[in-house]
Amino acid sequence: MAFEKVDLVIVGAGASGSVYASVLAKAGKKVVLLDSGPDWELSDLISSEIWGRRVKPAGAPILLEGKNPMGYAAQAGWGVGGATLHYFANFPRLLPTDFRMKSEHGRGHDWPIAYQDVAPFYDKVAREIGVSGDAKAEEKWRPAGEAYPMPPMKTFRNGDIWLKAFESVGIAMVPAPVGMNSVEFKGRPACIYDGWCHVGCPTGALANPLVTYLGEARKAGAEVRAWSTVTRLLTNQAGTRVIGVEYYDDKHQKQVQQASVVLLAAWSAQNPRLLLNSATDKHPKGLANASGLVGHFMMSHHVANTWAMFDEDVQNHMGTVGVQYMSYERYPKTSHAGAFGSSFVTAGFALKTADLANARGDLFGGELADYMKRAARHLAGIKTFGEEQPAAENRLELASEKDQFGMSLGKLTHSFDQDAVALWNANLEEGLRVAKASGAKEAWSARGAMPTSHLLGGTIMGTSAANSVVNSYGQSHEIPNLWVAGPGIFPTEGASNPTFTIFALSQRGAEQMASQWGTLTN
Amino acid sequence: MAIGRRGFVKGATLGALAFTIGGIEVLMAPREARARNVPFRLLDAHQGETLEALGETLVPQAREAGIAHYIDQQLSVPPHECLLQARIFNVRPPFADFYRSVLVTIDGNSRKIFGKDFALLTAEDQRAFVDSLRQNKIEGWTGRPGGFVYAVLRADAVDVVYGTMEGYEALGIPYMAHIPPEKRW
Repeated sequence: MAFEKVDLVIVGAGASGSVYASVLAKAGKKVVLLDSGPDWELSDLISSEIWGRRVKPAGAPILLEGKNPMGYAAQAGWGVGGATLHYFANFPRLLPTDFRMKSEHGRGHDWPIAYQDVAPFYDKVAREIGVSGDAKAEEKWRPAGEAYPMPPMKTFRNGDIWLKAFESVGIAMVPAPVGMNSVEFKGRPACIYDGWCHVGCPTGALANPLVTYLGEARKAGAEVRAWSTVTRLLTNQAGTRVIGVEYYDDKHQKQVQQASVVLLAAWSAQNPRLLLNSATDKHPKGLANASGLVGHFMMSHHVANTWAMFDEDVQNHMGTVGVQYMSYERYPKTSHAGAFGSSFVTAGFALKTADLANARGDLFGGELADYMKRAARHLAGIKTFGEEQPAAENRLELASEKDQFGMSLGKLTHSFDQDAVALWNANLEEGLRVAKASGAKEAWSARGAMPTSHLLGGTIMGTSAANSVVNSYGQSHEIPNLWVAGPGIFPTEGASNPTFTIFALSQRGAEQMASQWGTLTN
Repeated sequence: MAIGRRGFVKGATLGALAFTIGGIEVLMAPREARARNVPFRLLDAHQGETLEALGETLVPQAREAGIAHYIDQQLSVPPHECLLQARIFNVRPPFADFYRSVLVTIDGNSRKIFGKDFALLTAEDQRAFVDSLRQNKIEGWTGRPGGFVYAVLRADAVDVVYGTMEGYEALGIPYMAHIPPEKRW
């Protein structure tokens, strides 16, 4: 069956793809989203650590290499909704310094835009999908903006117990902004604080795409085709325009979807994989890759976890998996002597039994059983996310091995540099100082392998094809009707959880696409 | 918003695992499958015993909780339906290859060190072996690092003992499901 040509085909129905689908479908465009996994419904989101793994990747594997291989499967998504089906919905924003890294510190890259260009879209996204928090409290560290539409979330003893200890080391904590409902919002209920966010929130209290942008996109006529694995972007003979995508459907039949505009929104690893796999004689290194930068500057956050056991019941089963408190106090890039990069400090989150066990991965047998009894209701943690600098050698490239559809697998090489290691150590040391000041009877740092969190870069934005793959809207420099969205377009990562910025940049890009539509299709 | 609150149960029939008895698929928890001596789908008896011994060493009560039946059943389903932690640890499907190879390596090293398969060791020797595995201290170990194998198997054992509604109850932690798994699994 040949499909009718559409205006916009979107590869990936996660955070960024759903924003574009919503904006463009509402603008009257015929939109089709192709996603390689299942079409989840809210009723599929069973409250179970075990069953929750169904929304984690299960397609062709990404081969993981380097000194600090990316924890890919824990982070990525599978199916409609993508990783935002199981995200923690922490919504800190980047700060102005993140956009000027090269100018201010001679490191990494400058963004081609400033904080002020993105700020209105942070506010717009907050109004659209709902954010709970205290904007005024955050404004000690960032330019003023609109108030969040909902008050902060409730806090619990597992968060409150840290406040004095943070204060004692000079870190002011404020309510964390989250994409969750502290009160009913646009017909979606308030959160009930039972900590199952990470396996998918079925009530709609957490702003996942199924209840926000994707729902709106569908209402506006966008079509979602699940179990549709895109293997290649197609170009015209001159190689000047993309004309659609080739994909395999749920019956593993090859299909072609022609489109006026193609948007890649399949997360940071799959987007460059697709660009590289779409090489032609006109684009021998892959699409949008004359600079050779496609797949490079992949980044991840490192996370310094500190744990403490308290005498009192800290209600660690209560709350959300997103955090209750946060601080930008260590966000300036040179906050820690001997280390470089921003740190984002957080505290207060619900724990499930797997979290309790993972907090002491060295214990087994009777010692583990004894520890689990103590940890239930008495363990609490703090997490500090740290920034790594973009490095060209952290990259996604094609492997010689193929997947079931004959497409080369992606090979993701990732190593933290000395700056990142130093920052992680500094954050662990500070975390332990905080824990010791908290009155906990036991405290420890989660050392061992450096955890990776989030995946960014690979199709970075910049001012020209000489230094980047796309412009600040996500439009590729080389092919005007080929766009890329998601964390892959970040040229630096800051230390903030990226999804609020992904939504904001996608909203900005989508509005630009809609307003410039005539220039894209001619 | 048509979606309800806690107690909303559509999809709960996915909560139990499908085991085969007399050619008929029956939904039950792994603990029950073990108690009813349901035949393994992929594992042989020795592999099952070895997994039970490893599980019990890692997390007390994993044997009774049906760790071998849990892993066996999960290895028998397509990778995209598999719920094993191996998926999150980026083990490459088919996951059965990983488990089979790990069990062979564990037994081989157990025989080298103690002269017996792992399942036949005393509890003390099993514990010593697992402690060396955890620290990558087994000389001549081949394949995925011992510490990685420890982490995957420990996570499986944690799943069956502490990841269930019974596991939460035993620790005095309210489960608070939005959509509860069937049969408290």
